[in-house]
Amino acid sequence: MIENFLAGSAALFGDPLTIAIFVFGVIGGMLFGAIPGVSMLTLAAILLPFTAGLTATQGVMLFAVIYCTGTYGGAITAILFNIPGSPENAPTSFDGYPMTQQGRSGKAVGAAVLCSAVGGIASALVMMAATEPLAKWAIRNIGPPEIFALVFFGLAVASSVGARTIWKGWMSVLIGLLIATIGQDPVGGINRYNFGIGDLAAGIAFVPAILGFFAVSEIFVQAERKAGGTYKAPKVSMSFPSFLELWMHKIAVLRSILVGFFCGILPGIGATLAAFMSYGEAVRWSKDKDSFGRGNMEGVISSETANNAATGAAMIPLLALGLPGGALTAMMVAVFQMHDLEPGPLVFYNSPDLIWVVFAAMFYANLSILIIGVVETKTILNLLKIPFQFLAPLILMLATIGAYISRGLVLDVMVMFLAGIFGYLLRRSGFSIPGIVLGLILGKIGEQNFAQGMQMVHYDLGTYFSRPICALLIAAGTLTLLASIYRAFAPGKTKA
Amino acid sequence: MGRLNRSHLIEAAIWLVIVAVFYGFSFDFNQPIEIYIFGAAGWPRVVVGLLFIAIMGNLYYQYKNGSDAQSGIIGSSDEGATDFSDRATLFKMLAVLGVPFIFAWLLKPVGIYFSAPFFIAIIMWLFGERRWKAIVIVTAVIYVIFLGLFLVILNAPLPQGNTSPFYDFSAWILTMNTKLQGLW
Repeated sequence: MIENFLAGSAALFGDPLTIAIFVFGVIGGMLFGAIPGVSMLTLAAILLPFTAGLTATQGVMLFAVIYCTGTYGGAITAILFNIPGSPENAPTSFDGYPMTQQGRSGKAVGAAVLCSAVGGIASALVMMAATEPLAKWAIRNIGPPEIFALVFFGLAVASSVGARTIWKGWMSVLIGLLIATIGQDPVGGINRYNFGIGDLAAGIAFVPAILGFFAVSEIFVQAERKAGGTYKAPKVSMSFPSFLELWMHKIAVLRSILVGFFCGILPGIGATLAAFMSYGEAVRWSKDKDSFGRGNMEGVISSETANNAATGAAMIPLLALGLPGGALTAMMVAVFQMHDLEPGPLVFYNSPDLIWVVFAAMFYANLSILIIGVVETKTILNLLKIPFQFLAPLILMLATIGAYISRGLVLDVMVMFLAGIFGYLLRRSGFSIPGIVLGLILGKIGEQNFAQGMQMVHYDLGTYFSRPICALLIAAGTLTLLASIYRAFAPGKTKA
Repeated sequence: MGRLNRSHLIEAAIWLVIVAVFYGFSFDFNQPIEIYIFGAAGWPRVVVGLLFIAIMGNLYYQYKNGSDAQSGIIGSSDEGATDFSDRATLFKMLAVLGVPFIFAWLLKPVGIYFSAPFFIAIIMWLFGERRWKAIVIVTAVIYVIFLGLFLVILNAPLPQGNTSPFYDFSAWILTMNTKLQGLW
């Protein structure tokens, strides 16, 4: 493995053009991840046609690097403005934004930088050591019932996070699931709830909905504070967390790496669920549960470690089995195909150079997060000094373009602003925006895998419980659900 | 009534109407699928049913506890909402909510190249900026960033409008971009 890694590193840094592409990917991923309104997916979609002019190795490497650094970039806006750059950074804002409001933005961003790098590097190392055996294990043991069970567990965790009561938490998740039913059903392709609007047949696109629920609704919340005279500019702090502060959370980091890796390896699940589940587990195992959501650094650490740990893991089903786990890995399949290659087991035998350059690039990209992250953080924190009346139109403009360019539909811009208004009103009423978004993202995946699973087990639901991983995940989800319902009815259950 | 108040009942009524609408419309696509016995309407109806249960649970919770937040729930914001009894505050907020929607509605006929500067300036004004020089300068800066990033660098296809003279203005911007691209 070491020899292959060194050979991959030599190939990566032996060619000036490849180095330039690597640096472009690192900086581009961080920038596009950090700008609200656009994301690493926007950058990847724009770059896709240009990869035809690169070699296969350079093209795949570029996308892998964007994936690593883009996942980290979204944490910055989540912490500074409560606007996650992408859904996988949503749990980061639960504690990151309160830390900013308390004047601890430097510590929150510092923790995000370090933990994103640690999670990503750990994941890259496991990926290098065990891609083939892990992929084989996953294909033998993970099927639609397990993915459905994981979706259920993830939604159970999401329902207990971010809303004012468990009932509103579940309502939030169910609203997301209901929105996800708009468009064609994933089994028969029958149109559902398109209300006569042709463009709705393709469903509600994630990007405008996420931009609306997070970025636009946050602008409206700040506008309300401005209008009511209660707006407080966030305090800027440049102090990074000390080594001792981070060392105290080593168990949380290890746990988040495991959770992130497990979620990342499953096709279609990926970094978003990893971040939510890791955050949920951090709360579950904490002795000071009430401090979460009020600026507990462990919340930032858990979420950011897990979402970056999922990036390396997501490459395993792609490279070893040819199964893309999400939108960005699906675009990587397109890059392979442009160069007459098919990702899958044969790639390891036919193009080992490509594989090891990609592995090495992902390792160094995560290392770059640490180096560039520390340097850029002090610059980025100065964004907090920009008055919000200047930042708001910039964010709204970027969000408008981000919503429009993914499908070229004005309807998507409308959907985004509607989601913004809807999200603002729901936040005022104590609903959970991350819960809605997770329901929206996992709705189609959940339905599709439930349907495939039921067909697989001939509609015998009991078979779900005879599959150990599936039974474990359903039991964990049910326990999470029952625990939160118990809390709803237990004495001393409210806080005024 | 317990600790229920009018806003709880209105909230529950709105959600129940949504549940009823989605359940009603599910009959439009309640078709069997040959390979899947639950059909296209099965999953949405389960979601609608669970949402109904959650609404009832929420109403019961509010009956017992009013608007108090539940303990042990993580990440919820306990900040108080702004008082909208002052009409000026309410109108300002309605304008903030409405302006982006009008901007989105105008994208098709007017296009983004013409409408963007007005949108940027109005949002700044609604957010409390009253120095006209600052509004003009920041609007210009944001507009240049927007054109530079999305038009010059990324060549992203953006809405150009379909009515004259707005369409002509967008065409002029695109021509200028083409000439600029031709310089290198």
